[in-house]
Amino acid sequence: MNRITHALKNTAASKWVVYSILAVCFVSSILLVNNNHSFYDRTIAQVTKNEVVETTDVTDMHGNKDTLFIQKLETNVKNGKEKGKTILLNNEYSSSGAYDQQYDVGNELFVSIDSTMGNDLVGSITDVKRDKYVLIVAWIFVFVLLIVGHKQGLLAIVSFAINVMILSLALDIYVKYYDVSLLVVCGICILLFTAISLLLVSGRSEKTYAAIAATLIATVVSLSIVSFVIWITSGDGLRYEEMQFLTRPYHTIFMAGLFIGSLGAIMDVAITMSSSLFALYERDRTISVKALRKSGIDIGKDVMGTITSILFFAYISGSIPMLILYLKNASPVGFALSMNLSLELARALAGGIGIVLTIPIGLYITIFFIERKRARV
Amino acid sequence: MNVLVWLAIILLVLMVWVGGKSGVRSFFSLFFNFGVVFFTMFFMLDPNTNPIVITFIASSVIGCISLFYINEVNSKTVLAFISTMITISILLFFIVFVSQKLMIQGFGEEGEEAIAGLSLYIGVDFVKIGASVIIMSTIGAIMDVAISIASTMHEVFKHTPTLSKRELFKSGVSIGRDILGTDTNTLFFAFFGGYLALLIWFKDLHYSIGDIINSKIFSSEMILILCAGLGIALVIPIASWMNAYYLVRTREKIEKM
Repeated sequence: MNRITHALKNTAASKWVVYSILAVCFVSSILLVNNNHSFYDRTIAQVTKNEVVETTDVTDMHGNKDTLFIQKLETNVKNGKEKGKTILLNNEYSSSGAYDQQYDVGNELFVSIDSTMGNDLVGSITDVKRDKYVLIVAWIFVFVLLIVGHKQGLLAIVSFAINVMILSLALDIYVKYYDVSLLVVCGICILLFTAISLLLVSGRSEKTYAAIAATLIATVVSLSIVSFVIWITSGDGLRYEEMQFLTRPYHTIFMAGLFIGSLGAIMDVAITMSSSLFALYERDRTISVKALRKSGIDIGKDVMGTITSILFFAYISGSIPMLILYLKNASPVGFALSMNLSLELARALAGGIGIVLTIPIGLYITIFFIERKRARV
Repeated sequence: MNVLVWLAIILLVLMVWVGGKSGVRSFFSLFFNFGVVFFTMFFMLDPNTNPIVITFIASSVIGCISLFYINEVNSKTVLAFISTMITISILLFFIVFVSQKLMIQGFGEEGEEAIAGLSLYIGVDFVKIGASVIIMSTIGAIMDVAISIASTMHEVFKHTPTLSKRELFKSGVSIGRDILGTDTNTLFFAFFGGYLALLIWFKDLHYSIGDIINSKIFSSEMILILCAGLGIALVIPIASWMNAYYLVRTREKIEKM
């Protein structure tokens, strides 16, 4: 088997094999998702006619102006025992569209049937069928990553897919067995995520092992620091309201999310440190520990700012829509910020602490690995 | 004292300990960036402004802070800045188009309790706000790739000034590929961590795969992750081409003189 893949690698034919497998996957998945109505238990209907019957301008109690529309939709059932029949639907939407939506001819909707009216059915809209667009965007993502990134792009996709599967499996275990602690499940996840992602990114080598060790130690250290701070302040300033849809203890879930969240950034710093220090060592086998330490700190300084700001933007931006809603509803700014931003800020700051800690930890662990290698040679 | 204040102090101390002066600068640039996001949001409150335009302006301000304040104004940072802005513009169009098709603007069913009692008819365009959220979430990573490519390509050009435009472009793309894996990883895990609660919620409610994929909240998170990856991938050829073009043109100019 190994020999076959090796032989394939060296021929141009292998490229075409990969391309054609991709093309087949692409075409078949697109066909499937456009004709999968019968796989759904919920009734799906496609809009065939739409008409706006009423338009009203409204002003709410805070002076915000908006326009409300009512549209009448005629839809054609695509699955189930009512297939082919017509459902009449009413849809009310606003021009801002915070929690409602305008529908056009061709949109596919999940509907529930309420009653019959002559030959037609009357129902209400429960959701939109979004699967085909999600799939198309996913394919665009795959193609762009492959075209730009070649092998690295493929590895990024593979590691993403594997990590998603591990996470989903782990959460299944957590949800099914109440006595399993989330922190234990996440600890095992973190171990697997780190090993798999780093091995995929940089292969089986000393520098990967150094990065894995550095990531795990830095994660444990920053976990202890953040837990200690939360314990000593008894969580003052953290508002868990945005997690209130959960029926489980928010606190542990928040902590688990915090650490999975900063893991990627910590891995990034750890692999940057170890691969650049190993590169310096490969270039000059007699390089002194002191010189390694100095260049390590310099590299660390360079990456520290950029990676912390990547995390900051990723977390903070997500709360913009909710903040806008609060402020438009005349909430005081301080209240709106603490309600919607405290958890995100805590995640970003904890991630930053993890990133900065990884620099010295990664530095000394890599030097330890280099010294060990040097002693062996 | 507040958890956040403590965490911020610890972060500052660690940054100074590891990075000295540049650590202080990194710490303050975080707060500048936070301020920019904050102001951006205030401008979006006005229903007469276009959130897309505001995002564009905010991105340039963020670019100026992260590229010109942290580094300095030179051909590397200017090129990184331009390639970031081009990538963002392409991505913006794509995201607005996709989010209209997918109808993922605004709030999903998990936020029902949080928005209960609030007036939802506030006149701002949530499709465009959603698009700008995606851009703002990924701008850090896009800039990181752009500046890494620009500075390494300048370095490569300094050592071997005879390279053709094509060879320079290739070296830029190969630098980008090395960062692609780790930067997408950073963002993926950041988003996973943020959505952990949501994923547990889905599992608790025994949603089927079909229910999850079609739900507003899941598909919008999915689009955020995919667009973040797309942004990081797109900036690689754009930045490589811009740098190759600029370096070769300055060489030709010098040769002519």
